[in-house]
Amino acid sequence: MNALMIKALAFAAILMIATIWVVMSLDIDIVGDSVNAITMGGALAIAVITAAVSVKYINQMKTDTASGELAEESWDGIGEYKNELPSGWAYSFLAVFLWSMWYGFAGYPINTYSQIGEYNEEVLAYNTKFEVVHKDADNATLLEMGESIYLVQCSQCHGNAGDGLDGKAQDFTSRMSKEQVLEAINNGANTLGYPMGAMPAGMAKGADAEAIAVYVAGGMKGGQPAAFGACSSCHGLDGKGNGGMSPSLVEYDATLMKYTIQNGKKGSMGKMPAFKTLITPVQEKALTVYIQSLSN
Amino acid sequence: MQSNAALEYDYSLAKKFTFLTILFGFLAMLVGTLIAAQMAFPELNYLIGEYGTFSRLRPIHTNTAVFGFTVSGIFATWFYVGQRVLKVSMAESKFLMVIGNIQFWIYFVGALLATISLLFGISSSKEYAQYQWPFDLVVVVIWVLWGVGMMGLIGIRREKALYISVWYYLACFLGIAMLYLFNNMAIPTYFATEGLGSIFHSVSFYAGTNDALVQWWYGHNAVAFGFTVPIVGMIYYFLPKESGQAIYSYKLSLLSFWGLMFVYLWAGSHHLLWSTVPDWMQTMGSAFSIVLILPSWGSAINMLLTMKGEWNQLTDNPLIKFMVLASTFYMLSTIEGPIQAIRSVNAIAHFTDWIPGHVHDGVLGWVVFMIMAAIFHMAPRMFKREIYSKKLMEAQFWLQTIAVVLYFTSMWIAGITQGMMWRAVDEYGNLMYSFIDTVTVLHPYYTIRTLSGVMYLLGFMMFAYNIYKTMTSGRQLTEEPQFRTPMA
Amino acid sequence: MFFHWLEKNPFFFAAAISIVISFAGLIEIVPNFAKAAKPLVGMEPRTVLELAGKNVYMKDNCQSCHSQMIRPFKSETDRYGDYSLSGEYAYDRPFLWGSKRTGPDLHRIGNYRSTDWHENHMLAPADIVPGSIMPAYKHQFTNIADIETAYAEAVTVKNAFHTPYGPEFKRTRAAWDAHRPKVLDDAKAIAADMKNKDVKEAVANGQVPEIVALIAYLNSLK
Ligand code: HEC
Ligand code: HEC
Ligand code: HEC
Ligand code: HEM
Ligand code: HEM
Ligand SMILES: [Ca+2]
Ligand SMILES: [Ca+2]
Ligand SMILES: [Cu+2]
Repeated sequence: MNALMIKALAFAAILMIATIWVVMSLDIDIVGDSVNAITMGGALAIAVITAAVSVKYINQMKTDTASGELAEESWDGIGEYKNELPSGWAYSFLAVFLWSMWYGFAGYPINTYSQIGEYNEEVLAYNTKFEVVHKDADNATLLEMGESIYLVQCSQCHGNAGDGLDGKAQDFTSRMSKEQVLEAINNGANTLGYPMGAMPAGMAKGADAEAIAVYVAGGMKGGQPAAFGACSSCHGLDGKGNGGMSPSLVEYDATLMKYTIQNGKKGSMGKMPAFKTLITPVQEKALTVYIQSLSN
Repeated sequence: MQSNAALEYDYSLAKKFTFLTILFGFLAMLVGTLIAAQMAFPELNYLIGEYGTFSRLRPIHTNTAVFGFTVSGIFATWFYVGQRVLKVSMAESKFLMVIGNIQFWIYFVGALLATISLLFGISSSKEYAQYQWPFDLVVVVIWVLWGVGMMGLIGIRREKALYISVWYYLACFLGIAMLYLFNNMAIPTYFATEGLGSIFHSVSFYAGTNDALVQWWYGHNAVAFGFTVPIVGMIYYFLPKESGQAIYSYKLSLLSFWGLMFVYLWAGSHHLLWSTVPDWMQTMGSAFSIVLILPSWGSAINMLLTMKGEWNQLTDNPLIKFMVLASTFYMLSTIEGPIQAIRSVNAIAHFTDWIPGHVHDGVLGWVVFMIMAAIFHMAPRMFKREIYSKKLMEAQFWLQTIAVVLYFTSMWIAGITQGMMWRAVDEYGNLMYSFIDTVTVLHPYYTIRTLSGVMYLLGFMMFAYNIYKTMTSGRQLTEEPQFRTPMA
Repeated sequence: MFFHWLEKNPFFFAAAISIVISFAGLIEIVPNFAKAAKPLVGMEPRTVLELAGKNVYMKDNCQSCHSQMIRPFKSETDRYGDYSLSGEYAYDRPFLWGSKRTGPDLHRIGNYRSTDWHENHMLAPADIVPGSIMPAYKHQFTNIADIETAYAEAVTVKNAFHTPYGPEFKRTRAAWDAHRPKVLDDAKAIAADMKNKDVKEAVANGQVPEIVALIAYLNSLK
């Protein structure tokens, strides 16, 4: 091996090491995922084959000399040798052509392979692998799961910290703002689909409403305003939603999470779309735990 | 053997198209560098209001590079090489001169207007076919004129047998003609109604999956017949001519040419792997892409072997350096492409920066290098002056070589990283990264790519300057050099 | 030898090239043509407002960063929803699959984003998604969308390709004048969910800012 070849292969090696290092530093499993593994293999093949083959021929500029029988013609002074095909090239061409025929008709037969079939297998394998993990996930696990799902699916609206991006979506760091509670009191509410149905507008007015709103937005701590009686018939004295008949006013209860994730919600801030096609039941549980953790 | 001493070739058209090559090359790379910078520093999107956004500028970059720079380069070299290998001067036919000049002016004005139309968002949006129908018609006219000129010149040739380069120029003409026509078929809505709406708007003949198939049958082969075939034609002339070496093997030329013609067209569906195109078409595209390595490498190897025993030329003639490196980058991109066409690899590579990485190995390392080398070779013959500065050429070579390496290594790592991040799941089987994580992680690579763009652009400006000085103040030559290009 | 002869006969040489390069296209594209042109059962073509939005999408060239092709991988169906089907694209002229995902896929964006979100995001993407490199499209809030061209497009595809638009879609200006209020109603429905005052005002005055049409289009991607 000469110096040029060593340099070229060293460059290929550095490129591969850099690539693998970057990917590993992101916690990506190269060996476990066959697609990742094949890709790395492909990248390696590109780097090494190009380096080796081009340097092989460039070396011939140093060591070899031109020879052969010249053709009769010459174009603008350019001649042409009648040399045979380089055998390595010719056999590779033949081999690759035969391989392509095998690949098309037998190896990866063009009439039986189905990418959707492959997808179904992938999903099946996934489900078997993670069923156990998901089955009896404890709270700590759900919390961790919830955070990463939240960052992928919800953070674009609710913000990375869950603060609702300055009133553009629900702020999860608290249950309700005073304005939101007032809004419900003044206009009623009917988007969530609780068993109790709609909440009528105008259950409280003026100073009463104001007092209730401050109390609810404050997390229902301290003395309960008398007017809250108008609410407790539905939301319970503790505001926890009367066993799921209406939303809890102190926490993001499981029913609320389910309804919003499944159906979305259109309110004064804007519209949240339904996530029923993207969020699985386990993920819903995990999100609930995570979002509950944000308001505490 | 000075076989054509008696002939005075007419280089006026070659010169005109050379100027356009430099003009459009500069524009394309300037905009390329700007959009590269915008991906690293998005604030740069608002330099000129809505006309400065990345998305308006990107098609300007690609179309100016393809239809401005590369096509001018093809025309410029054709009007030089064609005469010489056919052993006939353009000056011998008034008709051909007139046709050629009409072609030039329509092309020049058309290209400028088409670029402006893209700036205003007048776009039919299919990649590399964005020009709306009026501009498509202009393209057709230009192409027909070129075809007439080419056939005419071949018709009055003295050299009976067509040289290899002519095979490739002919294939370029025929291939693009067929592909462009089919892919751009559209109905202008203004004329299909009582003159409602915009006169520019049109709807494609094809819909959905069919439109995609036609588009990538075109798109892939626009690469084939625009970035590969004519450039191979160029190297088959300029490398042996500059070095004074005979082509290594006729058989290798022959098999590579016909192999390329046959195989290239099948491979288009590798742009549509994992899409809704039927599985068997995807498989064909994938398999034929692998086969394609060989006819592509055949030409590159033929060129490298032509330089056998000529190490001294490689070390002391920068023009040879450009062409040998171009062959090497051609080899790199024509094995990288096929490997990206393997289904599993494509699952990662598709949609990521690894694809622009692959693209620029080809265009920066191969297309631009080859076209610049061709112009360096032609300039002393067209202007009858020595190349202004060899030192500048050497410096340019190294600057641009480092730039290409930076471009492709950064996009290689960026693309593989991004592709793998999209797939990554955590220990619970949930997606590990939100989309934006996969964007912000690329910032360093986008920055490196911007730097490489600046370097490459600088190199191109050195080239333009060198040519300009050659034209205006290079030492005058009394006799046309036979092989090696004289330089100071 | 045959090739030497061919190289001296340019006409046959050109003919040979044409033949060799033609048949891959014939074999790969033609056989599936009719099948791939079929829409999903019950699928409706886009409304004029949505078409106008699609034209804004093309004008601002969103497909240079966004794909509309969800590939059949678990990682993609988890992120974006069901994998894409051929029939879903049957009315798309041109197709807008894109070839680069600098930003996320948008083929089902209508399922998980809303009008008000797009309004905020298009105006200042990095304010909504920190670190976003997407340009802000402020001009879409003031530029007026070309709904007449969108109508012409609907009529054209109806007549030329039998895209199932109703009988009221006719080539005449009178037919367009009759259809225009329907487009404005659709625009009003979108604007009602938006907060930008200028946009609301423009719609109330019978004009459709580009952003309104674009959002109608994005919402239709499901
Ligand atoms: C008739 C039963 C009823 C009464 C009385 C009632 N609510 Fe409700 N409330 C509901 C129901 C049912 C919902 C869920 C409505 C929906 O689908 O959006 C609700 C929703 C709410 C919400 C919105 C929760 C969210 O996350 O969107 C708030 C805040 C609220 N109620 C506060 C109050 C207050 C304060 C009072 C007293 C002034 C009160 N409610 C009285 C039935 C009631
Ligand atoms: C396209 C934007 C968007 C996305 C994505 C989004 N949300 Fe929301 N979400 C909203 C908006 C807007 C509201 C407030 C609606 C209102 O009351 O005006 C909201 C409200 C909520 C509420 C409060 C409902 C209530 O009545 O108290 C919950 C809980 C919630 N979202 C959970 C989620 C979860 C979990 C996800 C991810 C799976 C998610 N959201 C994704 C926009 C979004
Ligand atoms: C320079 C590249 C670029 C261009 C051009 C671009 N986008 Fe984006 N887009 C992004 C990136 C990066 C993201 C992800 C970060 C974010 O949400 O802002 C994104 C996100 C989005 C999203 C949210 C998708 C999701 O799943 O959260 C929508 C919708 C969108 N873009 C629409 C558009 C439209 C419409 C246009 C054209 C008018 C456009 N984009 C042009 C880069 C771009
Ligand atoms: C200074 C040199 C150049 C720089 C910095 C540059 C930069 C870029 C950038 C940033 C993109 C967009 C990539 C993306 O969307 O992710 C791009 C695309 C592209 N460029 Fe360049 N470019 C340069 C020169 C060229 C030249 C000379 C050509 C052709 C001769 C060219 C052809 C293309 C093509 C075909 C694409 C589209 C690739 C795709 O869609 O995958 N570029 N370039
Ligand atoms: C053997 C030859 C080649 C093969 C098989 C090949 C294959 C490929 C593949 C698989 C892709 C990616 C498609 C995707 O997933 O999006 C691609 C993209 C591309 N290649 Fe190549 N490639 C080859 C040579 C070249 C050369 C020499 C050039 C340029 C000089 C080039 C220019 C491009 C361009 C411009 C694209 C981007 C297309 C787009 O806009 O998406 N290719 N090629
Ligand atoms: Ca076009
Ligand atoms: Ca592309
Ligand atoms: Cu291709």
